[in-house]
Parts: sequence; C-alpha cells; structure tokens
Amino acid sequence: MKKLVLIVGIVICFALVPLVITKAYVLNLIILICLYTILSHSWNILGGYTGQISLGHSTFFGIGALIFRYLWTLGIPPYFALCGASISSLVLASIIGFPSFKLKGHYFAIGTLALSMIAIVTVQNIFPGVSFPPPQHLAKYNLVPIYYMALTVAVITIGLVSFLNRSKLGLAFVAIREEEDAAEAIGINTFKYKVISMTLSTLIAGLGGGLFSFYVASYYYYVPFELGWSFDPVLIASIGGAGTVAGPVLGSIVFVILKELFAISLGQMNVLIFGIVFIFTVLFLPKGLIGIIGMVQGVRKSQDVSAKKR
Amino acid sequence: MLRFIQILSYGLLNGALYGLVALGLSLVFGVMNYLMIAHGGLIMMAAYITFWAFFYTHIDPFLFILVVTPLFFIIGWILFKILFQSLMKFPEGEKIKNSLLISFGLLLIFSNLAILFWTADERAVTTVYSGKVLDLFGVRLPYIGLGGVAIAIIVIIALHLFLTRTYFGKAIRAVSLDHEAATLMGINVNKVCLVAFSIGFALAGIPGVITSLHAFNPAISFDLTNKALIVLILAGVGSIKGVLIGGFFLGAIEAAGVYLVGTPYREVFGLILFVLILMFRPQGIAGKKA
Repeated sequence: MKKLVLIVGIVICFALVPLVITKAYVLNLIILICLYTILSHSWNILGGYTGQISLGHSTFFGIGALIFRYLWTLGIPPYFALCGASISSLVLASIIGFPSFKLKGHYFAIGTLALSMIAIVTVQNIFPGVSFPPPQHLAKYNLVPIYYMALTVAVITIGLVSFLNRSKLGLAFVAIREEEDAAEAIGINTFKYKVISMTLSTLIAGLGGGLFSFYVASYYYYVPFELGWSFDPVLIASIGGAGTVAGPVLGSIVFVILKELFAISLGQMNVLIFGIVFIFTVLFLPKGLIGIIGMVQGVRKSQDVSAKKR
Repeated sequence: MLRFIQILSYGLLNGALYGLVALGLSLVFGVMNYLMIAHGGLIMMAAYITFWAFFYTHIDPFLFILVVTPLFFIIGWILFKILFQSLMKFPEGEKIKNSLLISFGLLLIFSNLAILFWTADERAVTTVYSGKVLDLFGVRLPYIGLGGVAIAIIVIIALHLFLTRTYFGKAIRAVSLDHEAATLMGINVNKVCLVAFSIGFALAGIPGVITSLHAFNPAISFDLTNKALIVLILAGVGSIKGVLIGGFFLGAIEAAGVYLVGTPYREVFGLILFVLILMFRPQGIAGKKA
C-alpha cells in the first residue's frame, strides 16, 4: 500500500512538471527518457524476461511511427491513432515475427536483425521523401500534449511490466529464458508463451513508434526504421539491468543524460566516447546498474526469483 | 541474354568478396560463439589504412595484404586480451548478447575514428589497372574483381588446409565442437581461442585491401557485416568451404534481383533469401544436418 502511494505520488509529480517548469529543454529530456523507457521495456519483455534476443525492434517501432503519421494526417485524434499504431505493429509481428520463433538462440538474433534491415531498405525505396505532421498541428506546435502522451504511455508500460514481474505469466517467461527445454518438460507451452511475450513487446514498440512520430515534427520516413532503434534498447536494458522493472528506466535516464553531456562537451567525439563507456558497462556490470544496488542491499534478484519458484 | 550474363558475372565477382568478408566472422562465430558484428568495421578500417598507405607510397595495393594482415592479427590479439577473454566463462546466450553489445560498441568506435581521421567522403584507391576490363566474348570483367576472386579462392583453400591438415587447426576444430571436451583432451582452450580470434581479425585485413580498390566510406561497415552474416548462414556455421559457395550464391541471387527488379532492391533479395534459409534450412546450404 505504501509503495502504491509512493508510485502515484511520483506520477502526479511528473504530471505537474509542465505547470511548474516551462523550459522546453527539460520537457524534451523527460520526453526522450520516456520514449527510451518505452522502447527498452518493449525489448525487455522479449529479451530480458523471455530471453529471446531480438534485434528487430526497429521494424515494429518504425511501423508504429509510419501508421501513426498516416492515421494522424487523416484527422484521427492522436490517442486513437496511437492505438492504431500499436495494433499495426502487432499485425506486422504476426506476419513476420511469429514465424521467426522457429529460430532458436543466436539464430533468432541474426534473423530478426535481417528483418530490420529488410524493413529499412524497403521503406527507403517505397517512401523516399520527408514525412510532415498535419499543418494545423505544426502551426501551434507545443510540447505539453506530447509530454502527457509520453508520460501516459510510459506509465502504462511500466505498470504492465511490473504486473508481469509478479504474475505467473512472468514466471513462465523467466523459465523459458533460463532453460527452454526444461520449461517445456515441466509443462510450459513455450511457443504459446513466446508468442504472448512477442505480442506484448510489439504492442509497446508500436506505442513507442507512435510517440516518436507525435514528438518529432518532420523526418525522413526511414528514420524510425534505423538500426539504432534496434540496438539502443538492448544497450539501455543492459546498462540498467535486463529482466527487471527498474533497470530499463534507470538505463534510459543514464543513456539520455550521458548522451546529452557527451554531445555538449565532446562534439564530434561523442559517439566514440559513448562506445567506450558502453563497452566498459557491459564488461564490468554484467547485471547492469541495478546490479550495484542489488549488491549493496545484499538482495540478489536471482535469489528472489528462485525463491518464488519454490 | 548478354546483359544477364554481364550482371551475373558481376554478381559472382562480388560474391567472391562476400565470401572473403564472411570468412573471419565465420571462424570466430564457429569457434567461440562470438557474434562479432564489428567485423565490417574492421574491414572498413583496413580499407582506410590501405588507402592511406597507398597515398604515401604508391606501392601496388595488393601487396599491402602482407602488411595489413599481420597488423590486424596483433590488434585482434590485444583486443581479445582486453575485451573478449572475460566473456568466455558465460553460458551461450549471455555470450552472444555480450559479444554483440561489445562489438557494437567497437563498431561505433571504428566508424567514428574513420570519420575523424579521413572524413565521411567516398574514397577509392586508383591504380593504373583500375577500370581496366578483360573482354571475354562481349562480357566485360574488371581486373580488380578477377584479382579478388583469385585471392578469395587462395585464402579460403589455405584456411581450409590449415584447419584440416595441421595439428593446431585440429585443436581449433576440437574447441569449436566442445570447449569442455577439448579441455579434457589437454587442449589449452584459452590459447586456441586467442589465436582463432586473432586469425579472424587478420582475415578482415584481406577483404579490406580489396574493398579499398572499390569506392568506400565509413558507412559501409554495417553493410559488410550484413553481407557477412548472410553468407555465414548460407554456408552453415563453422563451414569454411561453404563460405566460398555461400558468397558466390549470394552474389548470384543479388544479380538475379538486379536483373529482375532493379538495383534498389538488391539488398532485399539477399536478405529475404537469408530469412528463408534460416527458417527452413538453418544448417545452411552446404552444411550437414545438425
């Protein structure tokens, strides 16, 4: 109960931010953190919990952005368009994503990487131009509605993942991650649960894509399909700690702030330094930043999970 | 018809290069289960080093293979010691994820170093025989491409012989089958992995030199990795002979795509083939059933 009050309090605090702070820079940062939280949690459900390392999330993110923009220019209100975007990426997943579960282990990673490369080349060829938002939106461009949409989607996402973390469904996912054959042997229908995991993951990725399209005014159609959108969530989840609720949130905060700091202070060199920092995080923090907190508290997530299993 | 043969022969010449590009990746992936997506970045770096060395010395670029290959062997040795050795203790899934992430970091570093040193402009080494072609019954074959094919065949045969005929090659193959069993047989797995990884790096130098003769820029690294992954799957993981066949096959398929649909969809053809192979024949076209 105490925890619930705390969470509601935090959400209300964030909801009040635009009333207090009118600096666009701060709002931009929070929107970006929300966007990356959504995307990395989307990856986290499939990669962190279920153990299916997907490198194809840019496809689902991109299709969400594409459909959102299309529906929005037709005059559909943004929140409905967002639902449409989310469903469209689920449809895409059911066409190309579910068959990819025939691939196991590293083949899944390589296969989904190929999917995202097919997507970007195809989009570059079909839509070579620049995408514009509806003109009436551009005329009174304002960050506040975008901020609220980002916050709403992020809260929904985090809520869903924390529900997952406590539910039987989440345990089934973890069982598949730890040992797929053993999970099958104790009566978990691994294919069914993998499909559920993929469904949730792509729905959220579609929401993220829609948010991107609502936030960024005009961009080349292929931009949300860029491979960065596939790798960044893997990176963020690893920095924060994959397979946890707080990990990707923490990771997104660190990711966005570090990127900003490096871009300001280092200029041209920023990606270079970023690469180095990133490598060292993977090498020395295998459980991510959340692992440090776990070590300090002496409470290990893994022990927690194994206690739950019994 | 002549146009088709022309496109196909270009495709096959490209295919030999794809085979070479995939060779190092295939070796590292086969022996250690490391997914080195930075491989394309290495090739790009080798191309820039060749370009730069040619700019100052004007020695025939093919001779730089003798310099670049040992240099990359040493770089591979150092990077393995610093970055990749600690990954060996992880289980398979973690190993793939972590090596993927680290090599992605490396890829970022390489492409930014290249932009920093040589800018993002498109470059190419221009020799006296650049652009010269061999006219074979109306089909025009560039000498550079033919040189690439010759080198690809020599290197792949040499690597195949090394892996099958020498004692150390046998050890590498044993480690790729089973780390623990290899340890029990008295093989120093750490050392074998170190050498195999460094050879993988060295094998990035050779296609790098050939790439430098075509137009290249820092952005090609991902494209090359992509080609290498396709060939790796076509060939079947760990199959060295298959790499050459896979490379030619990819080249031919891309050529068919260019002939039927047009150049913009060249990549898509290769990738769709790749997904189909992954789904229905994951052991590769040349590989045995697992």
